[in-house]
Amino acid sequence: MSDLMRTYPIKKIVEHGPGVKSFYFERMLDARAGQFVNVWLPGMDEKPYSVSALGENWLEISVKAYGPFSTAMMDLKVGDRLGVRGPFGKSFTYHDRALLIGGGIGIAPLRLLAHELSAKKLSFVSLLGAATKHELIFIEDFQKWSKNCYITTDDGSQGKQGLVTEDLLSIIEKEKIEFIYAAGPEIMFVKVKELIDPLDIPYEFCMERYMKCGIGICGQCVLDDSGVRVCVEGPVFNQDELKEVTELGMVHRDASGRRVKKF
Amino acid sequence: MNSVRFLNLELKNPTVLASGILGLTASSMWRVVEVGGAGAVTTKSFNKDWRSGHKNPSILPFRHGLLNAVGLSNPGIDEMVKEIGKFKQRASAPIFASIFGRTIDEFAEVTQRTVEAEPDLLEVNVSCPNVHSEFGQPFGDSLSDTAKVTEIVKKHAGSIPVSIKLGPHGPGIARLAKVCEENGADAITAINTVGPGMLIDIDVRKPILSNKTGGVSGPAILPIAVKSVYEVYRQVKIPIIGTGGVTQPEDAVQLILAGASLIGIGTAVYYQGIKVFEKIARGIEAYLQKYGFTSLDEIRGLAHE
Ligand SMILES: Cc1cc2nc3c(=O)[nH]c(=O)nc-3n(C[C@H](O)[C@H](O)[C@H](O)COP(=O)(O)OP(=O)(O)OC[C@H]3O[C@@H](n4cnc5c(N)ncnc54)[C@H](O)[C@@H]3O)c2cc1C
Ligand SMILES: Cc1cc2nc3c(=O)[nH]c(=O)nc-3n(C[C@H](O)[C@H](O)[C@H](O)COP(=O)(O)O)c2cc1C
Ligand code: FES
Repeated sequence: MSDLMRTYPIKKIVEHGPGVKSFYFERMLDARAGQFVNVWLPGMDEKPYSVSALGENWLEISVKAYGPFSTAMMDLKVGDRLGVRGPFGKSFTYHDRALLIGGGIGIAPLRLLAHELSAKKLSFVSLLGAATKHELIFIEDFQKWSKNCYITTDDGSQGKQGLVTEDLLSIIEKEKIEFIYAAGPEIMFVKVKELIDPLDIPYEFCMERYMKCGIGICGQCVLDDSGVRVCVEGPVFNQDELKEVTELGMVHRDASGRRVKKF
Repeated sequence: MNSVRFLNLELKNPTVLASGILGLTASSMWRVVEVGGAGAVTTKSFNKDWRSGHKNPSILPFRHGLLNAVGLSNPGIDEMVKEIGKFKQRASAPIFASIFGRTIDEFAEVTQRTVEAEPDLLEVNVSCPNVHSEFGQPFGDSLSDTAKVTEIVKKHAGSIPVSIKLGPHGPGIARLAKVCEENGADAITAINTVGPGMLIDIDVRKPILSNKTGGVSGPAILPIAVKSVYEVYRQVKIPIIGTGGVTQPEDAVQLILAGASLIGIGTAVYYQGIKVFEKIARGIEAYLQKYGFTSLDEIRGLAHE
């Protein structure tokens, strides 16, 4: 692990579709699924990104163009240097007969999880959704590693038209699911949570909050009311830890620390 | 752990969460007390209107500490006053409100409004070393400005005690502390971060912090903190919140021997985790027992004799 800032050249760039890219670096650190690295674009800013894959000698992050920073990342070329430090935060725990629910770029941390689960010979089913086809990343990997892979898009360009929540309960029943992992927009998770809370199936959700330090010092990512830090005690939280989070799906904080409405 | 008295306050132990570390919300500070074992907490420094601070990277670990240029980001006084209120409802430990202003008038206004939330102490930050480009030289670099700020805050603070937070720069921390005492300060917090300093990435060949420079904290500054507290203790009678570079109980004991009454802890949360407060409090207790002392009062300032 290295919390110290160092920059590394981009080794390879893969474009998944317009505004969604993966960046490959040498493997400068170890990480487990759910953990993230802070990525510094010199002259611009530094932001957290989940590790989406690790190979013997490479590390991959996957970025969706959203605001100014992630949009600037789209212009990067092989050989450009970025600061990468970490890994930060806690990872997912491993369970058999699991369901992986991913929304949009939230599929990134689940990609590493799917790889880890399949390496441990644990069985799982995937349920992946996005606004449109080109935002569905790593589908071939999920299809290869999962027992079954269900896909939805808002516009019907791939898989079934609609939201991941629509067939959720029937999939859980049919596939005899015993554990649920989720990553994606918080609004998606809030809807998933409403459906699965009554079932008493344990789950883990990978959360996002605005971060400054990533090392548990600044307090920027702390959740109400439990007071835990997303960058240290998270970003992966289980159902018990989330019970004490009153701001889930309601508000998050901006760079000043002011509360802003999530939706 | 024996509880300690500080001014009119009672703390379960002498450790205090330093300003700028996990001090943004009531929930966060509550956890530092409940899980971390801190004797008291200090809020992130705030002023009238909200500020986003500097862009990231704003907090950088290096081999002997942290370099930070957060840039006094804060959600503004309205939000912070609410958080202080929530903390007081939920937690039993004292809360220190850390305030700053760009002008003497803003110090007055922020004091008036903060006092309504009834924090247990007002800590006045006149020594942040990483907002030069925007604010000019800190008030705490000048004896006359420090005097003015102390006077105006005291005037509006009512019965709430006031501690002025100083850095090791400017005209000398002992002289600054003296001026604070003469103008009515009830305590001194020493020290803020040191510097500013800079770190450069050797491959892109540019300063790493977006602000280029930032304040140094953590183990690297312990000797400067010890010496600062030592000097302030010789110069003034008011108590000192000794802060800077404490990561182990032995570090805290050094500050107490130099003259500190309470121990501020910030960067150590990064090295030791949130339970560092409890750990250091127990370690101080063990030191007292080892040498047969029964209270902190017996060892405070002993290095001067
Ligand atoms: C632990 C963690 C892991 C992350 N992993 C990834 C990842 O693997 N891939 C990735 O592309 N991004 C990831 N992010 C988000 C990423 O850090 C940036 O926030 C994102 O790239 C947008 O940055 P920006 O400057 O372009 O936009 P901003 O200007 O920051 O975004 C504009 C607005 O959109 C909101 N917003 C920002 N990012 C998102 C988002 N991802 N979803 C919904 N709303 C958002 C912000 O609150 C802001 O109000 C992660 C965040 C965290 C905390
Ligand atoms: C990330 C960070 C933010 C800080 N923010 C503030 C602040 O807002 N106000 C303040 O008075 N001091 C601030 N400080 C200074 C600390 O309160 C403390 O005086 C200094 O870090 C030395 O103590 P330490 O070595 O235990 O961290 C900050 C320090 C750090 C590391
Ligand atoms: S980002 Fe600073 S505490 Fe989490």
